[in-house]
Amino acid sequence: MKIAMELQNVHKSIGKKPIIKGLNFSIKQGEVFGFLGPNGAGKTTTIRMMVGLMKITSGDIKINGLSIKKDYKEAIRHIGAIVENPEMYPYLSGWKNLKHYARMIPGITDDRIREVISLVGLEKAINEKVGRYSLGMRQRMGIAQALLHRPTVLILDEPTNGLDPAGIREIRSYIRNLAEKEQVSVIVSSHLLSEIELMCDRIGIIKNGELITVEEVRDTDTEEEEVTVRLEVDEEEKAKTVLQETLNLNVQSEQTRLKVNVAKSNVPNLVKELVKEDIAIYEVALERGSLEDKFFELIGENTIA
Amino acid sequence: MRNLLGLLKNEQMKLYSRWSTWSMYIILFVLIVGSALILLWADSVDETTYGDDWEQQLTQENEEYRELNQEGDFFGFDSEIQKNEYRIENDIPPLSYDAWQFTLDNASLSTMISLFTIIVAAGIIANEFRWGTIKLLLIRPNSRTKILYTKFLSVLFFSVTMLLFLVATSFIIGAIIFGINGWNPSLIQVGADGVEEVAIFTEIITQYGFNVVNLVMMTTFAFMISTLFRNSTMAIGLAIFLMFTGNIAVEVVAKYDWAKYILFANTDLSQYFGSGSPIVESMTLGFSITVLIIYFVLFLFISWLSFSKRDVAGN
Repeated sequence: MKIAMELQNVHKSIGKKPIIKGLNFSIKQGEVFGFLGPNGAGKTTTIRMMVGLMKITSGDIKINGLSIKKDYKEAIRHIGAIVENPEMYPYLSGWKNLKHYARMIPGITDDRIREVISLVGLEKAINEKVGRYSLGMRQRMGIAQALLHRPTVLILDEPTNGLDPAGIREIRSYIRNLAEKEQVSVIVSSHLLSEIELMCDRIGIIKNGELITVEEVRDTDTEEEEVTVRLEVDEEEKAKTVLQETLNLNVQSEQTRLKVNVAKSNVPNLVKELVKEDIAIYEVALERGSLEDKFFELIGENTIA
Repeated sequence: MRNLLGLLKNEQMKLYSRWSTWSMYIILFVLIVGSALILLWADSVDETTYGDDWEQQLTQENEEYRELNQEGDFFGFDSEIQKNEYRIENDIPPLSYDAWQFTLDNASLSTMISLFTIIVAAGIIANEFRWGTIKLLLIRPNSRTKILYTKFLSVLFFSVTMLLFLVATSFIIGAIIFGINGWNPSLIQVGADGVEEVAIFTEIITQYGFNVVNLVMMTTFAFMISTLFRNSTMAIGLAIFLMFTGNIAVEVVAKYDWAKYILFANTDLSQYFGSGSPIVESMTLGFSITVLIIYFVLFLFISWLSFSKRDVAGN
């Protein structure tokens, strides 16, 4: 698989204070990479270095093999990005905003602008001033300007920030589409696991300027994986005995639910045993363990909404 | 070079899509019309019409001037007397106030253009930071140096546009209200070598030219402050404050020789022409131009250093 972006031992210090302490990872072509960490972990600083807004103190970032430090103009051509909020000129119409960015890169025709507008579904509002757009529309404008020059790497900093669930779902499907159909590599940052885990192939967790771990999202979804199951049943004590004695499981009571950790392949069996004992089951809720648990450990429960 | 034009177009589009830019043109227009009406109503324009006997009329005027001079020990009319004598000697009939004269007088309105250009120069970088659009502007395949100089060129282009608007509007309004005396009438004035006759067209270019020096210097200064502090209010405040106090400050310290190195001692090049005399005696035209160029390059260099080398961090 081709590498679209590579971070090589990237450091950033501001004054004498180290902000980013040696990041090493790479993003493959056509992959959606989640960049997850609490606020202040260094996500935005890293993204600013990726696009050349901030200088890299030591190390390098390569885009399709081109160094952002040495071949800035060539390297940046392959990147489309939103850094923090998708800020546009509020007094210009959506069309003029896009025209503005189109003029900065040779070879973008009006047809291409129209194509991008229809991709993000802004045809109706394109002649209105951006100042009147909703946050969701501005996010879409942000994506539109980032896609104008057909980049191979798309960087979206907190793209779901301030969007309602419908908007988040929409953005998620754009991003999956871009990665799968156009082979664009997408980097999405967020401080909320729940918002990005459904769109990412891999998630890197960053804290205090260090990469803690990189986890595959989809591949972990195998039969052997241990999952947490929460059960809502009518006869809790009886069910607890069944699970403990017949299946040899460690059962915890959690308010009105029972919680067990079990291999995913064993879940049907578990249900079967309970049914056999004539216990009414109202709910069987599965929770994929590893990533969420890691994230909880790192960030604490409070930050997860 | 290919998308230099695109970048310039972008800046002009951003500038002229804003109401505040158009309001500057409206204010300037109102000032031009206003000054024409004041001239008309306040009777401060010499409305005497000269007939075929203009030589007699001028001789009479001169006698009146001499009387006034004697009465008040006031020699303010000396230049008027000299001019009239020159006309009689050289057989140049006097002309009434017209569009050319009005355009020439409005050279002083270029101070307003300096003011407006300072506002534009102060905002052109700082606003991008304030709106956050600087991030999207810089992540394109254009060097920061190029972005910076297209922005500076745009500011200069704006001021040239405004100057042309001032000249054209003054001439048109002047023509409507005062009429026109031919296509290139001459002007009698007291210069360095006594009374002389100059083409009014040349004089208009010269007067506006003197004002442009100050305009360019203060604009470049505002541009520098704007890139340095990424704050337009500060840039506008400082530049306007210096524009109005600079000359006074120079006069206070004019007795010291080092005063000649101050920017404001050199911005008024008219001190070397006509009846003017330099603020500090040892100054020459060449010296002033050199000092101006040094300041200009320094301001731009500081802007460039600050714009192209510093990180664009969060708010």
